[in-house]
Amino acid sequence: MSTTQSDDTLRKHKILVANRGEIAIRIMRACKKLGIPYTAVYTAEDAASGHVRLARAEGGEKSLFRVSSYHDANELMCVADDASCTAVHPGYGFFAEDFRFARRVAKRDRKMIFIGPSWKIIRELGDKINTKRLARSLEVPTVPGSDRPIYDEMEAERIAKTIFEFQQQQGIRHPLVLVKASAGGGGMGIEEVYDPDQFRSVYRRVRNYALRQFKDEGVLIEQRIMDFNHLEVQIVSDRTGKNPVHFGTRNCSIQSTGLQKRIEVAPGFTPEVINYSFDAQKVLDDIVAYSLKMARSVGYDNVGTWEWIVTRQGAPYLMEVNTRIQVENGVSARIAKIRGQDGVDLIAEQIRTGLGEHLGYTQDDISFEGVSIEYRLIAEDPENNFTPWVGQIECFEWEKAPWLTMLTHVPERLPYEIPTEFDPNLALAIVYGKDIRQTRERGIAFLDSLCLTGKDNRGNGLKSNEAFLKANTERILHF
Amino acid sequence: MDNSIEKRLHNLRERLSYITDVFAGKHSDSTVMLEERLTFFAGRAMSGASENAYAELATVEDLFAHVERRLDKTLSPMDKVRIVRHPQRFCLRDILENVYDNFTEVGGQDEHSLDPGMLIARAVITRSRGKKKYMQSIMVIGQEKGHGAEYRNGGSVKPWGNAKALQYMNVAETEGIPIHTYIFTPGSYPVEDYPGAAQQIAKNIYNMAGLSVPIVAVVSEGGSGGAEAIGLADKRLMLSHGYYSVISPEGAAAIEGRLKNGERASPELIEHCAAHLKIQAEDNLRFGYVDKIIQEPPLGARPWHFDFFRSLRQDVIRATDEVVISTRKMPVLRGLALARHRNPETDIDGLYIRWGLSGAAKARLVHRRQQKFLRLSRQAARDRRPFLTKTATTFLDWISKPWVSFKYDFYHKHQRQISTLMEEINNEIDMIKYRLLSPWRKLRCRLPGRQDDKAQELTTLSTWEESGRSRKWNYLSPRYKIDRTLTCPNSESYGCLDLWGPDLFAEFAGVCSHCGYHFPMEPEWYVHNVFDAGSIIEFNSEIEAGNPLDFPDFSDKITAAKEKARAKSGCMTFEARIDNIKMVVAMLMGTFRGGSVGAAEGYKFVEAAARAAKKRYPFLAYVHGTAGIRIQEGTHGVIQMPRCTVAVRRYIEAGGLYMVLYDTNSFAGPVASFLGCSPYQFAVRSSNIGFAGPGVIKETTGMDIPPKYHRSYRALSRGHIQGIWDRRQIRPNIKQALLTIGGRNLYYR
Repeated sequence: MSTTQSDDTLRKHKILVANRGEIAIRIMRACKKLGIPYTAVYTAEDAASGHVRLARAEGGEKSLFRVSSYHDANELMCVADDASCTAVHPGYGFFAEDFRFARRVAKRDRKMIFIGPSWKIIRELGDKINTKRLARSLEVPTVPGSDRPIYDEMEAERIAKTIFEFQQQQGIRHPLVLVKASAGGGGMGIEEVYDPDQFRSVYRRVRNYALRQFKDEGVLIEQRIMDFNHLEVQIVSDRTGKNPVHFGTRNCSIQSTGLQKRIEVAPGFTPEVINYSFDAQKVLDDIVAYSLKMARSVGYDNVGTWEWIVTRQGAPYLMEVNTRIQVENGVSARIAKIRGQDGVDLIAEQIRTGLGEHLGYTQDDISFEGVSIEYRLIAEDPENNFTPWVGQIECFEWEKAPWLTMLTHVPERLPYEIPTEFDPNLALAIVYGKDIRQTRERGIAFLDSLCLTGKDNRGNGLKSNEAFLKANTERILHF
Repeated sequence: MDNSIEKRLHNLRERLSYITDVFAGKHSDSTVMLEERLTFFAGRAMSGASENAYAELATVEDLFAHVERRLDKTLSPMDKVRIVRHPQRFCLRDILENVYDNFTEVGGQDEHSLDPGMLIARAVITRSRGKKKYMQSIMVIGQEKGHGAEYRNGGSVKPWGNAKALQYMNVAETEGIPIHTYIFTPGSYPVEDYPGAAQQIAKNIYNMAGLSVPIVAVVSEGGSGGAEAIGLADKRLMLSHGYYSVISPEGAAAIEGRLKNGERASPELIEHCAAHLKIQAEDNLRFGYVDKIIQEPPLGARPWHFDFFRSLRQDVIRATDEVVISTRKMPVLRGLALARHRNPETDIDGLYIRWGLSGAAKARLVHRRQQKFLRLSRQAARDRRPFLTKTATTFLDWISKPWVSFKYDFYHKHQRQISTLMEEINNEIDMIKYRLLSPWRKLRCRLPGRQDDKAQELTTLSTWEESGRSRKWNYLSPRYKIDRTLTCPNSESYGCLDLWGPDLFAEFAGVCSHCGYHFPMEPEWYVHNVFDAGSIIEFNSEIEAGNPLDFPDFSDKITAAKEKARAKSGCMTFEARIDNIKMVVAMLMGTFRGGSVGAAEGYKFVEAAARAAKKRYPFLAYVHGTAGIRIQEGTHGVIQMPRCTVAVRRYIEAGGLYMVLYDTNSFAGPVASFLGCSPYQFAVRSSNIGFAGPGVIKETTGMDIPPKYHRSYRALSRGHIQGIWDRRQIRPNIKQALLTIGGRNLYYR
């Protein structure tokens, strides 16, 4: 990698890996590659997890601390102090997008580095209204609708009416309006309106819910976009925040019914192979340009992902910004080359720049080749609303191949009890091919070779989303 | 030895044991001497050696009387406390039997009545002028200590007992008969069962401040809240051997000595506190908190002192007459009648004054009573305003009164009519404009490019004034600078994680993000975060808390408190705005000696209420914390209870909105009077509200109270407060309350 600057300054650091499972493993590997010592944490339920075994093998018992919960910042701070860590990597989930945690890490008496964007940026971009207003001020397209909380019923009705009329003008046959509690999050307090006459009652319901739940009766009113593809732009920047680069686009449109991603593909579209009803190349170029524009404007200083929805008409709308490393960063890394060299590791880049090193390359040094898919192997029942399956895994094997990267904390060939406390992600499989056809074939081949069996405590067999993944492999990148 | 000698001997033995009890070991030479003489005489009388037993007995009795007179001059305050507590002291039933001519007890005879500690009786007095006899009815209300009867609870009245008293005061008002109250209480019983000790006393005081019949109070044992519950009277008489105090000497000693649970104060400390609290009749007469002292026989009256009851009868009737006469309109007639009545030679029973009052006289009566209480205790606060400022304020008050009444009572009424007219004219103009411009509008609708309007509106940045969302609070508690973690008190039961100080005291506003527990915040936090920035105008900040009783070592403590809280008294009064709605706020600050209320705080509170009434502003009492009345100020403190309540009542009746908001801990006197009487009381979550703290309850009742006994939700469930607010929602909630509730005379109505 292009770590041409002094590696010694990096080696003076010690990183607390404040996460579990697959991402903890990837962070530890990246640290090893950079030669940075680290400390890992685990809870009682996770004692058999792969990240614990790796930490024990690499750093010995001293590098491991048992905590009562990954959610307890106090304990993590104690561990960091005890192990004299100088930086904290939050991974994804848990504290990754918690600006308070980042602030605490950076502002406490024994200051540390939070490997992620600075807390002010996390706070600024973590607020969806703020993000939307920032985007609009930079003329970045956002979902049509209000960009501030509406408190007045008359105004709300007027906006809803305009949105209905706007959709009719655009030729949308079943216009939909979304009413959201502006202070809400995680899907709480969101309702759809399909009939202008119903708006008032829905509005009042959401407003009262918001008042009860969030103590703020402001609502957002937006167009509901039904038919879209979910695209992402991977941004990487160093602590100067002045010259962010992108690592291409991803398409994450294949999702479970609960809108959780199941298959991610890089790049976002392949206009040279597949025909789209709109100018796909322009869309990709546009969203990359918009994302970089926003990153530059806020002085974005670490890795992050700009999430977009693209309608069937080819209109991109900014949805939100994820101020963290994402699960699917591997697919972007797989197709990227820096100065012609592959083996890009975005987590290593994140740590390196997070600790203060300069990027060392520009956008011109980055090139892309091929198509990569990431499957999320999960013990769940796709037929039954993707209900998680809990039990013991007995066999977990697959055929090794040079084009396949398997990221998992589940041990091969050893029985493994899936802990119920965390999300049931078992493994990430990243498949690479020189074009979409080859990637698809290899993906199917991988899924065919996979052996994943187990039993729950009533003796029923393991349920996984293998078939769902296989069925959807045909669909990827089509719109 | 005949029976009557035996009786008189018994009587003398009782007197002897009384003397011994009262002096608790002091003057033992006198008691030993008396005892020797008594035993000597008894031995002689028993053996028949005495020739003239009656004559000898009379000498012994004379000796007793002589010694009692002599000892009476040496009585210390603590001795007087022992006198009023002695089982041989007369009680309310003795008064009913000896002062009034006939009476009917209304409940209270036995342990099955509603709180026998509070005794209500309808009594009559017969007076004659010439041959004509007049019967006059009186409602007698008072605590009955009951000569040791257990069920009387020593005159410590439960909340429902005070409720009963209030009920019969209202009956007396309906019937138009005067009320005589007799205060024989060591203090109210501090249980929070419905209707709640503090709340009921507050209701009583509030109602007495506007009761339109003459009230005469007689104080024998006036213990703080229990006394005030029936003590707001037109005339307050005090027995020469009684005491009237903010707290029992033992309680004061416990506070002064900083005693922990179960420890006992030393007798010297109790004596010391009793001596410095200025609890005696002469002190209170000098301060002006009682109007007259009724002289008791040496060493205090006992049930066989029939002369005393005769003079008591004269005094209470005279006081009632005086109250009635003073409501007369004609000053000359009033003066003559009062002069005749005040002549101690006059036989009151031979005079007759009608006690019924005309409507106008009733209004004058209430006004005089209110004015009387408002005037009290000003001298006890140190008003450090420069002479010019004071004069200017008074002058401005005087000048602006007609202006304000012109502005609100005259101009605003007509302004409403003018604005109605203007609206109608505007409507007409709009209609005409609409008609005239309709061709142009139709034309514009057909123009191309209309679509872009919608897209533009829905996809470009809108203007939003409130976009400064990053700074949520105008003021941050200085504690946010310290890197440490705090444990939420509810973490055991709710599993809250420890909170990081810089988060908790800045962004979270001191609220546990998991369970919503409210950590206490500084008064400044509220001042700057509840009200509009820059809208605070403090007034009367020069009025200083002092040490009016010269209580030993207290001046230093007050000076220290002033430095610590950077304020001159525990009450900050200011004008402020919330979204441009102006209001007057009186804030009791828990950081200044626990937020206790003394003469200065009461003074500022009364002034604030008057200012709110004058300017037609809403009046908010924000209780950051109050530990009660400042005991080191003695009756200067306790008089603030009726005094501030009168101010509040005058404000409410003038048509204002008086709201109370409790935070952290609010206890005792203020809650039991001017705070508890508000019709709109709210509490911040996690606050404690009550009459007496757990330690005091344990001390006085011997009961262990359940945990969370004083939590605000308990106050909510017994109807004391009307709502519990989140600290972060105080500002919107106050605004909402201002816009939706309140009296008719507010400036924005």
